[in-house]
Amino acid sequence: MAKTYQEINEKIARGEAVVVTAEEVIDIVKARGIKDAADYVDVVTTATFGPMCSSGAFINFGHSDPPIRMAEISLNDVEAYGGLAAVDTYLGATQPSKDRGVEYGGAHVIHDLIAGKEVHLVAKSQGTDCYPRKSIDTWITLEDLNEAYLFNPRNIYQNYNAAINTSSQRLYTYMGILQPNMGNITYSTSGELSPLLNDPLLKTIGMGTKIFIGGAQGYVSWMGTQFNTACPRDDKGYPTTPGATLALIGNMKEMNPKYIRGAIYEKYGTSMFVGVGIPIPILNEEMMAFVSVENKDLYTNVIDYSVQRKAKPSLKKVSYAELRSGSVDINGKVIKTSPLSSLKMAREIAAELNHWIKKGEFHLQEPILSFPMGNALKGLEINEGGLR
Amino acid sequence: MIKKILLSFPQGVAGKPMAMELIKTYNLDFNILKASIDDNIKGTLLLEIMGEEADINAGIIFLRQNRIGVQDILSGVDVDEEECVDCGACTAVCTVNALEMDENWKLVHHKDKCLECMLCVKACPTRAIHALI
Repeated sequence: MAKTYQEINEKIARGEAVVVTAEEVIDIVKARGIKDAADYVDVVTTATFGPMCSSGAFINFGHSDPPIRMAEISLNDVEAYGGLAAVDTYLGATQPSKDRGVEYGGAHVIHDLIAGKEVHLVAKSQGTDCYPRKSIDTWITLEDLNEAYLFNPRNIYQNYNAAINTSSQRLYTYMGILQPNMGNITYSTSGELSPLLNDPLLKTIGMGTKIFIGGAQGYVSWMGTQFNTACPRDDKGYPTTPGATLALIGNMKEMNPKYIRGAIYEKYGTSMFVGVGIPIPILNEEMMAFVSVENKDLYTNVIDYSVQRKAKPSLKKVSYAELRSGSVDINGKVIKTSPLSSLKMAREIAAELNHWIKKGEFHLQEPILSFPMGNALKGLEINEGGLR
Repeated sequence: MIKKILLSFPQGVAGKPMAMELIKTYNLDFNILKASIDDNIKGTLLLEIMGEEADINAGIIFLRQNRIGVQDILSGVDVDEEECVDCGACTAVCTVNALEMDENWKLVHHKDKCLECMLCVKACPTRAIHALI
């Protein structure tokens, strides 16, 4: 029998909702079958904790006396954008610091703010009649700020490549360190627990979906950049290459520093571990079937990162069960596989979200806009002489 | 008995032929795994020493009497569990599986397997792995 968001939310309010994680639901479906499980389970929690470069924070500092229209802004020596209004800024997660480089970047400042640490704010201005101050040098904490919220333009990729290196040189990439001569394979997913792999056609995840982000209750604010729903899929609809992405928003003042962490990828740059959890309402048997997916049925490609072009060749299509097994056989060579996103943290987040819903502290929000299917990616043409 | 030890030589002691003494007086064999001396003329020496247990212990006492710090070392690195997020990036470069994920996807550090290549220090995104040598 089909359920509505309202019916599920009423069950949550009464403390009667049956909430399980996307890993736990697999055995429930095996024991009860899709139809009975769809009646029994109300919400399935999904989660991921991985490096997500396209992340950052909007901040409003409040006005000093006399006030300043901040143009050049730095936080702990990390440059923040000065092209917004007087005391608004955007701090990008991957921005390296001027003193420590990629070892301390925007992501680390964001983590430190959430952790309640003092952060050094320095800003300069040309001075105007209405904003006469020309420079400011002070220390701030998250509590002192008017607003501080993460707005991440591209998070939680629906699926992602596994990486390998066929060259004779070690490679330093955003997929970690890749040993020469196919010495290792890395992959980054929570697989059967991953939010967008449990709702492959985005039937319940859209603009306005309420989520767990960094320990706070946040929202899906838009489709993510490089949103690709025209990607190759298996016969059930699960993407087999990088697919959909989401733009996410959440209040830093409600976050836990455990779930937002700076990340450094050697000779690549700074990134940010973002902990995200999304509840999937079991509205009908179709959704139950989607969330019962297992790692053995989810596939990705092992991509050769030594090819320094946009299009990189795939050496093999593999399942996440094979990647999780610790090794993959490619042309007779057994190659070690290693994860880059933390399944342990993802499980903690799925359990935490589960706990919130069971306690009645978190209700489901029905999306106010569904995202388009069949949305393809464009490349960037190099038009040296202009387009005319 | 085989034991891995890290010797730290304070200023003024670096340069004395201590190792020679270990061979001659204490009947010990050793492999030098790593040796360095820094700008402040402080030295470190990572040794794998082989010999009778009593001889090894006596040799260590001799070194300490000569102001040389002696520390038992199993692994070249230390993993700070507070900083580690159990992502697994370090396991990608650990060819001897001294760092590996357990069945619950928590990082485990088999210190005795470490070959001190130190690549994991660079591979760790949260810089939770600290070099000891």
